[in-house]
Amino acid sequence: MNTTTPSFEIKKVAVIGAGVMGAGIAAHVANAGIEVLLLDIVPEGAADRNMVAQKAIDKLLKADPAAFMSKRAAKLVTPGNIEDNLADLSTCDWIVEAVIERLDIKQALYAKIEAARRPGSAVSSNTSTIPLGDLTAGLPESFQRDFLITHFFNPPRYMRLLEIVAGPQTNPETVAAVARFADVKLGKTVVTCKDTPGFIANRLGTYWLQLAVGEAFALGLKVEEADAVMGRPFGFPKTGVFGLIDLVGLDLMPHVQGSLKRALPASDPFHATLRDEPLISKMIETGYTGRKGKGGFYRLNRENGQKLKEAIDLASGEYRAQVKAQVPELEDGGGKDLAALMSAPGPAGRYARAVMARTLAYAARLVPEAADDIVAVDDAMRLGYNWKLGPFELIDKIGAARLVEMLAADGVEVPALLKLASERPFYRVENGARQYLGTDGAYRDIVRPEGVLLLSDIKLKSQPLLKNGSASLWDIGDGVVCLEFTSKSNSLDEGIITLLSKALKLVKEKYKALVIYNEGSNFSVGANLGLALFACNIGAFGEVEKLVATGQKAYQDMKYAPFPVVAAPSGLALGGGCEILLHADAVQAHAESYIGLVECGVGVLPAWGGCTAMLERWQSDKTFPKGPMPAPSKVFETVSTATVAKSAAEAKELKFLRESDGITMNRDRLLADAKARALALVEGYVPPKPIELTLPGPSGKVAMEMAVEGFAKRGLATRHDQVVSSTLAEVLTGGDADHIEPVSTARLLELEREGFMKLIRTNATLDRIEHILETGKPLRN
Amino acid sequence: MQVYTPPLRDMRFVLHELHGSDELQNLDGLEEVTPDLIDAVLDEAAKLVTEVLAPLNQSADLEGCTYENGVVRTPKGFKEAYATFIEGGWNGIACDPKYGGQGLPASVNKLVEEMLCSGNLAFGICPGLTHGAYEALIHHASDELKDRFLPNMVAGTWSGSMCLTEPQCGTDLGLVRTKAVPQADGSYKITGNKIFISAGEQDLTENIIHLVLARLPDAPKGIKGISLFLVPKFLPKEDGTLGPRNGVLCTGIEHKMGIHGSSTCQMSFEEATGWLVGEPHKGMRAMFSMMNSERLSVGTQGLGLGEAAYQAAVVYAKERLQGRSLTGAKHPDKPADPIIVHPDVRRTLMTMRAYNEGCRALGGWVARTLDIMEHATDPEERRRAEDFTALMTPIVKALFTDMGFATASMGMQVYGGHGYIRDHGMEQYVRDARIAMIYEGTNGVQALDLVGRKLPAHMGRYLRSFFHPVLAFIDAKMDDDNLAPLVGPLGKAFGALQLATAHIAEKGLKDPEEAGAAATEYLRLFGLVALGYMWARMAEVAFEKRPTANGDAAFYDAKIATARFYMEKLLPEVAALWGSIKAGKAATMGLEEAMF
Repeated sequence: MNTTTPSFEIKKVAVIGAGVMGAGIAAHVANAGIEVLLLDIVPEGAADRNMVAQKAIDKLLKADPAAFMSKRAAKLVTPGNIEDNLADLSTCDWIVEAVIERLDIKQALYAKIEAARRPGSAVSSNTSTIPLGDLTAGLPESFQRDFLITHFFNPPRYMRLLEIVAGPQTNPETVAAVARFADVKLGKTVVTCKDTPGFIANRLGTYWLQLAVGEAFALGLKVEEADAVMGRPFGFPKTGVFGLIDLVGLDLMPHVQGSLKRALPASDPFHATLRDEPLISKMIETGYTGRKGKGGFYRLNRENGQKLKEAIDLASGEYRAQVKAQVPELEDGGGKDLAALMSAPGPAGRYARAVMARTLAYAARLVPEAADDIVAVDDAMRLGYNWKLGPFELIDKIGAARLVEMLAADGVEVPALLKLASERPFYRVENGARQYLGTDGAYRDIVRPEGVLLLSDIKLKSQPLLKNGSASLWDIGDGVVCLEFTSKSNSLDEGIITLLSKALKLVKEKYKALVIYNEGSNFSVGANLGLALFACNIGAFGEVEKLVATGQKAYQDMKYAPFPVVAAPSGLALGGGCEILLHADAVQAHAESYIGLVECGVGVLPAWGGCTAMLERWQSDKTFPKGPMPAPSKVFETVSTATVAKSAAEAKELKFLRESDGITMNRDRLLADAKARALALVEGYVPPKPIELTLPGPSGKVAMEMAVEGFAKRGLATRHDQVVSSTLAEVLTGGDADHIEPVSTARLLELEREGFMKLIRTNATLDRIEHILETGKPLRN
Repeated sequence: MQVYTPPLRDMRFVLHELHGSDELQNLDGLEEVTPDLIDAVLDEAAKLVTEVLAPLNQSADLEGCTYENGVVRTPKGFKEAYATFIEGGWNGIACDPKYGGQGLPASVNKLVEEMLCSGNLAFGICPGLTHGAYEALIHHASDELKDRFLPNMVAGTWSGSMCLTEPQCGTDLGLVRTKAVPQADGSYKITGNKIFISAGEQDLTENIIHLVLARLPDAPKGIKGISLFLVPKFLPKEDGTLGPRNGVLCTGIEHKMGIHGSSTCQMSFEEATGWLVGEPHKGMRAMFSMMNSERLSVGTQGLGLGEAAYQAAVVYAKERLQGRSLTGAKHPDKPADPIIVHPDVRRTLMTMRAYNEGCRALGGWVARTLDIMEHATDPEERRRAEDFTALMTPIVKALFTDMGFATASMGMQVYGGHGYIRDHGMEQYVRDARIAMIYEGTNGVQALDLVGRKLPAHMGRYLRSFFHPVLAFIDAKMDDDNLAPLVGPLGKAFGALQLATAHIAEKGLKDPEEAGAAATEYLRLFGLVALGYMWARMAEVAFEKRPTANGDAAFYDAKIATARFYMEKLLPEVAALWGSIKAGKAATMGLEEAMF
């Protein structure tokens, strides 16, 4: 990434072209809290001249997964058109072009932009296929200086990769400003690419897909078998290749292939992968373009009123019932040793070898042709194609020398970089620092951008302060320690609670502040229900109650500890994982945090202080109606329906986060931000004061029960929903409270405990827990 | 002396008073099964056993089965007894009326089975296997096969056999080699050798329906490639009469320790015609219907022999005069006191009695859930019953047969040297009982099934069906004046069971050998707690009924006294078992293989 200091800050953005990508980019800019202008053409005779952009916004509002992080964000997008609103471009610091992939149209637009924009503002294209040199050819130097390519991936909110290409004329400061904005505000990982066709991710990704499809036909594999091999074993998404093509659309493939075919020199191995599969052409022609069409390589056959999962037979082109892939090489723990898999004699082994040896070799060719270093290629594939490991990390698993042997045996040209690596790994750890192999054969440190702090880096050079089977505690410098969950799916168990308690003691003695953070894909999915369920099944209710009580105590101790605690979630923070946030002094949340108290879904209620903390939050909100009833009602509404916020911004609306809590857009910057926040709280830190709540008691409970009764009558609440809701209502209204005597935290925690224990003793709740653990889906009993 | 009298009073207690047989009528299809009907059936069964079957027990053991040129002859009297047996409709008492059965519940059938086992175990094996084959067919075979074969099997004119074991494959059925080749007409040609096939050949029935595990040509390796086939000895013609002999031959029978009246056959299949039961490669699923039913029946064999041994021991202990009571002569008129006055003989008899009655009660509970599984209309109720039987099947099989053998041996002990010689028939019980710990999955395999499959299934859901009712009972009766002295020890033992369960679940998850090393002790511990619960429940009923029992008070007093003996003298074994489980696998697995 370019580290030149940006000369200006981007405060307003324009996106021209309100197609899927343009609109998605606009929405995501708005997610960053930045005003954005979304422009498109004026359709002939349109009454509303902003119709195209407006329609795109309407579509964004309904998108699933959501394009906007909050309703507030949606309001930041202003629709317009390129005839009436060109002048407004002068108010924008960055203009993103995302119109159709036609050079003539783009260039004509650039001329208009150049005339209207403020000098020095950045202009970029979201092109995925047209080289920068072609785009700027013939345009004034002033335009060329401010122009770059910013290639987003779909959907722009969720895909973390941004490929940036700068031309020889582009002002490095402009690049730096856009890159910094993309990194800090949009949360993207910026990968600098050279101006070569398809840049990095699509160049390699297309090569891989094309090869994988062709070889599956050639080797006579079933699509299920091909996807089983080209999925989990290599750390690719489990959709494999055919499932992935179904997802992006079969019709898109020929476009990308065509443009790469035209742009790449004849010597490029890409051409050898191009094969005409009449079946695929026929599928596209007849509308079988994948999930968006009538079906793809897989389909859900709804004929005869049933839902039948089917897959296409590559040889006959007929659909047949989907089968479970029979791949003996992957059974009994096979497939972990990739070199062995790629050397196995059967069809699966031959397939793995034919596709992956060449794909990895092609990746090696791309450095330095398309990327300066291997890190860029690995980042691009991990973040652009959701590979768990980048190609060079995969090569390290196989061994570069072993791969070279395979290529030689297969008669494939061995790229220079692979020869250079030979017996050496592409990545190594030296003196606690991660290093990569440069094209000159020397290892270089991987340098993190300023403001990026990764626990995985810290772990390379230090030992945990405390550790057990479920959690670890790390010194992250400046007197701050970090509690990391390490249990399966970061589920909360006795081990985590124990370590939290120990951490509180240690910080009190020797440190300034505590951050709760981890680098799993989810912050925490909540309490370990498997353990709880087993304990309940054998009637060990005493143990379960003890765990509830210890958890309550640990969270209370954390809340009232004499030092600041900052929690920093990313991904799911559910149930007990949400409750830990509710007891922190502050939260620094990754924008993509999905927070909720989902206990009622599995037939219990939040009992590690979650009910109490939520009541406290709503009742102390000065803008919210006074009286004993409004707060419990509000909490009841959120908790009884197991509502999960679909972003950090939405979590604020639901009060899982406070208004004052911070949001970090870039996942890699979360720990540094959380640490800074904790340090900012240290000076003059005073623990919060316990507050007492005025609650309505039995009359309030009856009101809530009546509401649920209404839902039940309309078929919206099940029998057990009613039992759970009624128990929750009992807790939230303070049990036998009256609205004269305030209710203490201790009493509320007792009510939580009692309610929880009452519910977990029921068969219906245990059935719910079992069902969600076994199927991942809630049971509506 | 073999003196067996069916324990009808205790059977009625278990069925009516403990498990409330009147509730059976609420189940779908069992509306007619009134307590009166049940009593009449039990009375008739008792008569059959005492008059027809028990008298043949010792002679059949002495004579054994004989083999000549592919033909097996059963002991003298068996043919006539079998004719009486099927004439009375006993073969199909628990079968579906649709195929000519009586449709009686398992709750009743298990008690009839117990009587058969007590009176003449070897005789009962052939009908037992027919019933197992019936279970597999009724749940998995096509309607066509059912219509063709079940009526005769239910009537008992045709019998069934289970052909699983091969010379190279016993417990590990994945090693089955017998082949099945599909034919154009939809049938299969079966070729291979089977061993240890009980009632594989006999002279009691006109046809024998073998259920055979074999492999199809395209079968996946191992246990996932096994299919189940129906292979008759004689191929029935269209009209149902017997047609030509099929390519199945008994090539010999085994000489063995006990159950001499039952043939244990080597079977050879040579291009024998058979039909697929259930789906291809899913033979184990069908087999398990049969095996689960068989495993419960084998458990009943243990109980049956234990009861017979107990009765014989009591008679002898009262008759045999040796020495004097430690507290002075109890029968000064006689040359010596009967040995029943001695505490150690008492201890032996009490243990036998407590095991037997405890197992009968637990068996009754499992039988009840079998009936719920078959007949309840609420799917939820059926599922909970399935959970419970799945959990308890290995326990019933292993615990009952361990206890049955121990009890038979104790019976011999009471007789002293007279038990070791043949005349009194006590050593026959010991010999007959020993096989039950081995076949239908050794008791070690049962223990593995419990810890490896049943315990972790659905995160312990099966366990709930046992643990929750026991916990609720303990919580409710802890302070009951009468029951507190019994519930106290039960509560302690239950706590040990909880700890052992959690311990094995946790350790076993990380290291399956930890679970394997604890398995047998865990099953025993579980079984002892289950019997403890039954004893506490029986005492509860006894305390409730005794005040108004009139002439029957002694029965209830005996129940209460035996319950106390169980809680104070037998249940404490649990503590030792838990101690050993806690110690883990290290001591068991520590010695290098080469050092053995």
